[in-house]
Amino acid sequence: MIGDVRAALAIARKDIRNLSRYRIAVASMAFTPLYQFVIPAFLFGAAFAVNGRAAGLTATLGTDDLTGFIFLGGVVAGIVSTAFWGMAMSIRNEMDMGTLEPSWLTPTSHEMFVIGRAIGGMLFLILTQAALFLFGILFMGLRLRPEMLLALPAVLLALLSMVGIVYLLAGIVLLIREANFFIDTANFLFVTISGVSFPVTLLPGVLQPIALALPTTYAVDILRVQALGARPLFGVGIEYGLLVAGTAIAYPLGRWAFARAERTMRRRGMLSQY
Amino acid sequence: MTLLVADLRAFVAAVRKELRQVRRYPTLLLSILFWPVLLPTAWVLMGRAYSGNDPQALAAFAQRAGSPQVAGFVFVGYAMYMWLSTLLWGPGTALRTEQVRGSLEAVFLTPASRLVPLFGPGAANILPASLNFVVMGVALWLLFGFVPTFQATLWTLVIIVLGVPAMYAIGALFAASVLRFGEVGPVVQLVRGIFVLACGITFPVAMLPGWAQVSAWLLPPTYIVEDIRRVLLQGAGPADVTEHVILVLAMAVITAAAAAMVFRALETSARRTGMLSRF
Repeated sequence: MIGDVRAALAIARKDIRNLSRYRIAVASMAFTPLYQFVIPAFLFGAAFAVNGRAAGLTATLGTDDLTGFIFLGGVVAGIVSTAFWGMAMSIRNEMDMGTLEPSWLTPTSHEMFVIGRAIGGMLFLILTQAALFLFGILFMGLRLRPEMLLALPAVLLALLSMVGIVYLLAGIVLLIREANFFIDTANFLFVTISGVSFPVTLLPGVLQPIALALPTTYAVDILRVQALGARPLFGVGIEYGLLVAGTAIAYPLGRWAFARAERTMRRRGMLSQY
Repeated sequence: MTLLVADLRAFVAAVRKELRQVRRYPTLLLSILFWPVLLPTAWVLMGRAYSGNDPQALAAFAQRAGSPQVAGFVFVGYAMYMWLSTLLWGPGTALRTEQVRGSLEAVFLTPASRLVPLFGPGAANILPASLNFVVMGVALWLLFGFVPTFQATLWTLVIIVLGVPAMYAIGALFAASVLRFGEVGPVVQLVRGIFVLACGITFPVAMLPGWAQVSAWLLPPTYIVEDIRRVLLQGAGPADVTEHVILVLAMAVITAAAAAMVFRALETSARRTGMLSRF
């Protein structure tokens, strides 16, 4: 057990060291969400403002805090993106570099490769979010309230549920050839259907059951309810229950899928193929 | 065979080579069906969240955007986003890709004009970029019921065709400039980010601060997006956009000349430093 923890920390350290060498890439981790989502979404939303107030957003969500709505959605988008690109896809990258086979031949349990990446990814997630929030406070009038801390358990549960989903994704990307396109599109769909950029009630009817099955949907909603006073989908208590249930299902489901993928790869000798 | 005819043949060969590569990776075509539909659709739904169907909010948007058609506004903006994306990731990185593959030196040793590798990939990109427009037009019709008049569609096509030289001049200037960078991915993101923020792709240019609005009107995509929106969403005619079209064509000439100059300077420097084969 202690050996596995040490291995996970070593993997996290390796990932951090690797990424730190590419400074432009690190800077773009904060810049890309700014130009792709935060600033355009803010200016787009502001285009609907009446006398400086987001009256339309109040009608939809019960809050006129446009900046808070965008930034809090961005927190969950950041968690999902780290899980998809920093954790699941990085295992595939290791396969493409030809280093997955020797890594898996070490006595470290294979689950630790995901946990180690989660630890490394979290550090970059916290740094990126801190930079984004600082930008929001300085230039976009973002106000942080102490009530936000009440939503912290929801964020932690979302993180935990994403580890389960990463296992599932890692199993898929190890088996398919076009992993890049899969991760890119799946990441976008996951973020969008979770209600990061608009409430899930605006989704087409066929997508709403999928949205309600995702733990991140409840994490976004609880975060906005606690921090902005937005109208909840069902009520915070029920949503916490659903979030816990979603996390409890996602983790074993992901572990099972990862184990299946691993067995398939061992049988077919795919570990060193790319 | 005259030199010009030989260069034209080399140009056609360069275009064919690029198109053949696109054909060999059919999964890339999936992205032409996915992103042009889902990206703008998500933004239209965001618009619904921000408007809350409140008549005052919608009127405020119409006043700032020049049209109450949120879906049309977003899809036109995203058509430019997709065009810029395919341009910067495709022709914009073509020279650098040749350099990484180690084939740029070999291309430069041929007697073909240097303008062939500079502008050839851009010409090949016209086909996938056109597909984006078609897919987005169909999505706008099927998902949001927006059907422009035949005349508006025709004038939109004219604006796009007249915008092609400016757009591909931008691609060529970018392609020549990024040869000096090791990692082009973040540079593409940065440049695309500047265009997204400045050219009114997802929000009206009027929302930008004054200094940013002045900068926005120095970029050809701002005029192209604005003119397409005026023709498609506001019923403007050719006379209303002529001035902009002339400006865009003038900008194309200046940008293409700048691209050729940067490329020439880079080639001179490369001959001295031997950087063509570095990657």
